[in-house]
Amino acid sequence: MSPAVSATLRSGRVVIGLGLVLFLGMCALLAPLIAPHDPAEQNLLSILLPPAWSPDGNQEFPFGTDSLGRCILSRLIYGARTAMVVAIVASLGAMLLGSILGHVCGYFGGIVDWVVGRAVDVWMSFPPVILSLVLMVGLGTGLDKVIMAIILVDWTRFCRVLRSEVLVVTQRDYVTAARLLGFTHWQTITREILPATLPLLITLLSLEMAVAVVVEAILSFVGLGVRADEAAWGQMIADARQYIYQSPWNLLFPMFAIIIAVSAFNLLGDGLRRAFDVRLAQLAR
Amino acid sequence: MLPTVLSLLGRRLIAAIPILLLVSALLFCVLRVLPVDPAAMSLPPSATIAEIEAQRREMGLDRPLALQYLIWLQRALHGEFGRSIHYRRDAGALVAETLPATLELALTAMAIAGTLGLCGGLFLFRLRGTPFETLGDLSSMLLLSIPEFLWGLILLFLFGVVLPLLPFTGRLSPSFMRPNITGFLLLDTLLVWRPDMFWDALTHMALPAVALGLAFSPMIMRVLRSSLFDVYVEDFIAQARLRGISEMRILLAHALKNAALPTLTLAGVQFGFLFGGTLLVEIIYSYPGLGNLMVDAVRNADLPIIQTAGLAYCVAVLLINTAVDSLYLVLNPKLRER
Repeated sequence: MSPAVSATLRSGRVVIGLGLVLFLGMCALLAPLIAPHDPAEQNLLSILLPPAWSPDGNQEFPFGTDSLGRCILSRLIYGARTAMVVAIVASLGAMLLGSILGHVCGYFGGIVDWVVGRAVDVWMSFPPVILSLVLMVGLGTGLDKVIMAIILVDWTRFCRVLRSEVLVVTQRDYVTAARLLGFTHWQTITREILPATLPLLITLLSLEMAVAVVVEAILSFVGLGVRADEAAWGQMIADARQYIYQSPWNLLFPMFAIIIAVSAFNLLGDGLRRAFDVRLAQLAR
Repeated sequence: MLPTVLSLLGRRLIAAIPILLLVSALLFCVLRVLPVDPAAMSLPPSATIAEIEAQRREMGLDRPLALQYLIWLQRALHGEFGRSIHYRRDAGALVAETLPATLELALTAMAIAGTLGLCGGLFLFRLRGTPFETLGDLSSMLLLSIPEFLWGLILLFLFGVVLPLLPFTGRLSPSFMRPNITGFLLLDTLLVWRPDMFWDALTHMALPAVALGLAFSPMIMRVLRSSLFDVYVEDFIAQARLRGISEMRILLAHALKNAALPTLTLAGVQFGFLFGGTLLVEIIYSYPGLGNLMVDAVRNADLPIIQTAGLAYCVAVLLINTAVDSLYLVLNPKLRER
């Protein structure tokens, strides 16, 4: 293990953040094995059961059941699957689109830079919630559409930050030296500039995963996220909201799940930021 | 100072025109790929195919997309944003009716976020070097990880259900007749001098505004704290110490002024996001603003409203950003000369 990697892993934040992320990832991967029930299985005879530790609880449903008698724990575990898939795929997509544009704009400048810069202006004048909502209206519901919407909304986060970073790195002497040695533009960007921007990129990626989890939950909460037959935390919250008096646990469990997932990614991102010594106020969303 | 601010406003206005045109074109295109037929939806179900065709022609739906957009734009410039399919009323009027409620919520929330961010940032900074520094940092991180809609639900649960202290639906108790002067309820109730009604409106505003404010304050806290760290290595702080000025005075009178500027830049962007966040909080608290109108419109595929409300959100964000930039100009003496 290289010294840089082991130093990174020694940071408490990275360890805890990564641990939580891995735990959620395992839940997502092994959902069919560890979930006690099918998340869609309805038990209409035992609806709105409290968690197993309360007096009326049923051992068969550790976290109780929802208004259709579905097992809350199983739905939470399958919801982790939705959340993690969205977090990983959407963030990687947004990172690819945003960082490629950011590198091209920062390195070449000129007309491309101008056009992308104006596009970013237009995007920034939309509150992200509104833009993703409008996109979901156009795209329709479904997991793939949620991912698409997040990529189309959040590429600007990567593009803005990386463009200004690339502008700085391009001015360095070793980049000029590489050009003088006859490196092509492609070689210069991938071999000289990318290694310098990589720490920032990884940090941003981790923070973007936190954003993606929230956006997925918001869209599912509003009813424009995943389809009704897919379990998602936002959807569980929306369902449980109507039964807040009878069964508050229904509402609290998915809320905890979202908070844990988001703080895991944020903690990891913050730890990485410190370990890589990335200093940027712009990281703030 | 006034000419500088005015020239900034002028430049911003000119820059805003192409942005708004692009935003409206973008909205127009996204909403036209929908698999719904606005013409069929605006007619009763008994309409014949010929009638729908006539309606399509009348609405201009048979023409190319670019031309449709230009027609829409021309009407929009005359203040006609089309008729809502669901409410059968002018979309512009509906948006204009609900916008003040959302603005009022957003402004109150911004005040709360700013206050909490300022106090929290100063507090976090005071914790530096103590054993509680990491704890403070981690708590602010945890706060950062709770988005506005979760705060909305948490507060609703705590103060609406567990301890029923505050109302959590609407803007006003049904027993009051709502005065309608400016549309800003807190202002209107004061204008007609009804302190009881003002109090009622304030209690209705409390939970949604605090939820939004709480969600957006941690970022301000954290940036203020790190700007304060940057300022504290400057020579003038060391010099102020040598002059024997108290730590409290150095922090509040010397460091805060300088650290406030980078924080303000970030707060501007945050307030733009906060304005979008009102949508979720409005849904949770059934607050009759732009957000509820928008979500209803989305559920009914009511295109004229989605389009007009989306545009209203953009205008509001551009206005907020301009206001924050003007404030920046007023507060930063270095920028005044030019």
